Amino acid sequence: MKKPIPVLLFSLLLTSSCLKLDSNMYNTSDKIKEYKLDNYTGTQDFILDGNYAIPSSLVSIFDLSSQASDEKNSTTIKALYIGDISKIGSDTIILYCHGNKWHMDFYWQRAKLLAHTRGKNHYGVMMMDYRGYGLSEGKPTEYGMYADVDACMKWLKEKGLTNNRLVIYGFSLGTASATELTANPGALIPSKLILEAPFASTSVLVQDASQLNMPSDYFTDVKVDNAEEIKKVSQPFLWLHGTADLFLNYKTHGEVVYNQYKGSYQEKFMVDGADHGEVPQKMGFEKYLEVVGSFIIKK
Amino acid sequence: MKKPLTLLFIVVLILTFAFCAPSRYVKTLEKKQSVLAFSFGGPLIKFGGAPIPIPFTTLGYAYGCSDRITAYGNLHTTSLLFGNFQTDLGATVKLYEKENQFGFSASPALQIACNVRNQTGFRTWPSIDLNSYYHPNKKPSYIYAGINSWIELSSTKAHDEPQTKHAIPNLHIGYSVVKTKWQHQFELKYLGMGIANTPGVVDYIGASGKGTFGLYYSLIRKF
Repeated sequence: MKKPIPVLLFSLLLTSSCLKLDSNMYNTSDKIKEYKLDNYTGTQDFILDGNYAIPSSLVSIFDLSSQASDEKNSTTIKALYIGDISKIGSDTIILYCHGNKWHMDFYWQRAKLLAHTRGKNHYGVMMMDYRGYGLSEGKPTEYGMYADVDACMKWLKEKGLTNNRLVIYGFSLGTASATELTANPGALIPSKLILEAPFASTSVLVQDASQLNMPSDYFTDVKVDNAEEIKKVSQPFLWLHGTADLFLNYKTHGEVVYNQYKGSYQEKFMVDGADHGEVPQKMGFEKYLEVVGSFIIKK
Repeated sequence: MKKPLTLLFIVVLILTFAFCAPSRYVKTLEKKQSVLAFSFGGPLIKFGGAPIPIPFTTLGYAYGCSDRITAYGNLHTTSLLFGNFQTDLGATVKLYEKENQFGFSASPALQIACNVRNQTGFRTWPSIDLNSYYHPNKKPSYIYAGINSWIELSSTKAHDEPQTKHAIPNLHIGYSVVKTKWQHQFELKYLGMGIANTPGVVDYIGASGKGTFGLYYSLIRKF
């Protein structure tokens, strides 16, 4: 090759923007063939003892059709409901938006724990695998994720849920959907918002890593901006975060979201020594349920 | 909890994006001399149990304006693959030299970056390298050591939060093998001093849970 450098430069320009880190925001690396829930033996943040068992008759896994407003076709996603579906018309429901890792089997213990808020199966709990996660079809995208959570809201609404009985809970990446759909409601308007280890925005993620005022679009097209969206939230808001969160720093991420909230009531619970994903176990499961339960019933 | 490894990898890449190149032209060129340079390297990560550098690349050109000043420009080619135009333009200034023994130099530069695809995020950062070098046995090849820092001039960052850090220092040490037409430069950097590298999940190699080591190679062709 006579002109290696110009050819290399041209090739780089041609492939420019081929590499983005968006897909790395969604960790779907652990592939499964079926949901095993209590029988899942993969890595989990914690495993609850037998006192937290849920009767199999109160656990349903089913398909939902999800379609974002700009999509031509729908995507089939998997959702899970803990509780008596026939009582959704009168029960309070916690809609759990899980983090960026793997699938519902990984988050099953967390959903099961939430199903013990104010007593076993006192509230219904719903979660879903976003598109591309677990056995849900498609590829994960930011707006697809919002559509998937909205698909759950549509299903809950069809079953009789009303706005005042919907509490939305987001953990880590799931705080994006929870905040977005509280700020810009879909089929239902959540009455309360709970964020565990939220990230402020992709900008903060980038700036925490670089220490510079560097724009996030150098690395990702994901535009998640919880710190901005939370300004539109008027519903009561509970923030949970570990003080030792090495991944999403509670000061640069969580506190920014908390401080931007302009709504009617806000509450925070900092968990000493808890790293990312350690909030329930470091808090103690009973204390965790007490804090979440007290927030839900607070007038 | 085991941290989301892929997201940590992003953090490493972002950190490296900012400091993805070795020290430029520790010694000034001769007057009217020009060189083309290719550099390769990045932070050390554990891959298959063995430490390897993330392969960030840059292409550059330098020209000896005088015996004391060398102007240079570099294109960060790996950044292009992420849809970003990134370049650094600067000059190496000879501060003091005892010929073929030791010397000191400074390289102020302007780091320029923007997102090409979206045509957004145009940013500039001043940076400076301060180097000392030593010629063992008075031979052309030399050892060098120094400090590099990008300067953040902005007083705020995202969401109008205050930008508290304005200097992001990195340390480096290197060895430059000087031939008649070619020069090979090997450099070890300590990047991201004070930035936690989340021990326990690390896929990269730092010290005391902070920062990361980077390894770089530069090939320089003189004209």
